[in-house]
Amino acid sequence: MLILGIETATVQAGCALGGHEGVLASAHCSKGRRHAENLTPAIEFICAQAQVDLSEIGLVAVDTGPGLFTGLRVGIAAAKAIAYALRVPMIGVSSLDLLAFPVRFSQRLIVPAIDARRGEIFSAMYRQVPGGVQRLSEPTVGSAEDLATELMARSEEVLLVGDGALRYKDVFDSLDKVERVDVGNSYPSAVSLVQLAHAKALREEFVQIDQIHPAYLRKPDAEINWQVRDVH
Amino acid sequence: MSEDMIVLGIETSCDETAAACVRGGTQVLSSVVSSQVDLHSEYGGVVPEIASREHGERMIPVVARAMVEAGLDGSNIDAVAATVGPGLIGALLVGVSTAKALALTWDVPFVAVNHLEAHLYASFLEDPHLEFPLVVLLVSGGHTMLVLMEGHGRYRILGETLDDAAGEAFDKVARYLGLGYPGGPAIDRLSMSGDPEAIRFPRSMLDEGLEFSFSGLKTSVVNYVRKHPDVSTEDVAASFQAAVVDVLVHKVRRAAREHGAKAAAIGGGVAANSLLREQFLGACADDGLAGFVPSRSMCTDNAAMIASAGWYEFQRVGAAEMSTGATPNLRIRTL
Ligand SMILES: [Zn+2]
Repeated sequence: MLILGIETATVQAGCALGGHEGVLASAHCSKGRRHAENLTPAIEFICAQAQVDLSEIGLVAVDTGPGLFTGLRVGIAAAKAIAYALRVPMIGVSSLDLLAFPVRFSQRLIVPAIDARRGEIFSAMYRQVPGGVQRLSEPTVGSAEDLATELMARSEEVLLVGDGALRYKDVFDSLDKVERVDVGNSYPSAVSLVQLAHAKALREEFVQIDQIHPAYLRKPDAEINWQVRDVH
Repeated sequence: MSEDMIVLGIETSCDETAAACVRGGTQVLSSVVSSQVDLHSEYGGVVPEIASREHGERMIPVVARAMVEAGLDGSNIDAVAATVGPGLIGALLVGVSTAKALALTWDVPFVAVNHLEAHLYASFLEDPHLEFPLVVLLVSGGHTMLVLMEGHGRYRILGETLDDAAGEAFDKVARYLGLGYPGGPAIDRLSMSGDPEAIRFPRSMLDEGLEFSFSGLKTSVVNYVRKHPDVSTEDVAASFQAAVVDVLVHKVRRAAREHGAKAAAIGGGVAANSLLREQFLGACADDGLAGFVPSRSMCTDNAAMIASAGWYEFQRVGAAEMSTGATPNLRIRTL
């Protein structure tokens, strides 16, 4: 089964095409935050490069976040539209899973951290398991300092990955036993998405379009203000 | 591409998620509008983040319904058109991304539509034989402008509001009077049982140019109610509405006269207002103008007008690039 993966959870927007033969083509751009402008031409491009017609796609995988709201909406809207037009099922994968997956060969506690803006990061904890990674905690949003405190309390070797780890490197670099993955791997990739979706597809973990929802992890602004008003 | 091509239109610029199938620019095969107004009413206005999230959830079900109601599948669609602006950026992006992905998958052109131009085309959808030059009064929560259409795609902006949009004035006055959101329908309803001549509210800039100003009127209403706390809300609503409509109709007449228009039309959410519709048609009849008022569902935001405008856009300009994004402050392309 041929899988189209769409990934737009951070400043990077990407897409990839693959299946049982592995990833056939991919394109990523992390400059300019032009998700809506870049995504459709990128899909067109990878299909042409791999000589695949979109009608051959049997599954659409999408990164459902957490991440930048605007990017997520663009990617998820496009992914749903393609799945609808092709009448094929979907698979949603967390952006944090996508960051942990490429560093799965590490024995350490794997902690992806995505820049959530407003001084916060999205994060969760993972551990290596045969064939991939397993998530140990619910994805959360909080300050880098809070995550640093939590990591220190665990007192074990940690591998941090993601643009959140990079942005708050001053907070994390001072910690013992914590190492950061370098710049080149700081965004979730559509390549990992296709790989992970393929594994899920073999287990038939498909969902329908209406079951794909972005993981915002934050209430919309107006609601937050409303609650604050009620408290005071 | 043939004249009777079928366009799927998509609209997500504000708080309505809409999709429609229109053949040949005028034959509406389906038009589905999913309004979020209930979600926003408790805040007294549209909350952009809530709107964007809702569009993401509702978009595909709305498209699917429009296709089913029209009895079509992807192989019948000749082009996909979407609003690319003006509007809320997060909201627009859902529609643009959906439309481009559908166009790519179905291998048909993507057409970029200006939401304001689509409001102008709502009239052509219902009366394709409207004569040029045509004056259109476009009145909504975000816009108040007089546009001269000299031909398809040939626009001249004759006047705009200098402060609040007419719909915004309705919302603000309704909120002050405790009538809730959206204000337009509430004031329209209440005015039926009020006296429009009870209070003489000012008609700002009535005899000056083709520009509008509504913030002074709103202030007058607030001041009047403060001074007369026992005044009937119905009378305030009716008198306020009469003042707004008076100015709008007055300026349409002047614009038509000054620019030798043969016909006049109205569009936008405020064009659903009962008094405006009545007074506008009366004024056109008095002035020997062919007046056209679209049905109410064609005045408020919908995707049939997007598909229709998309059809004219495609005939005249052609498809848009797949790298098209959303433009929140997009203007009408004037001559
Ligand atoms: Zn509108």
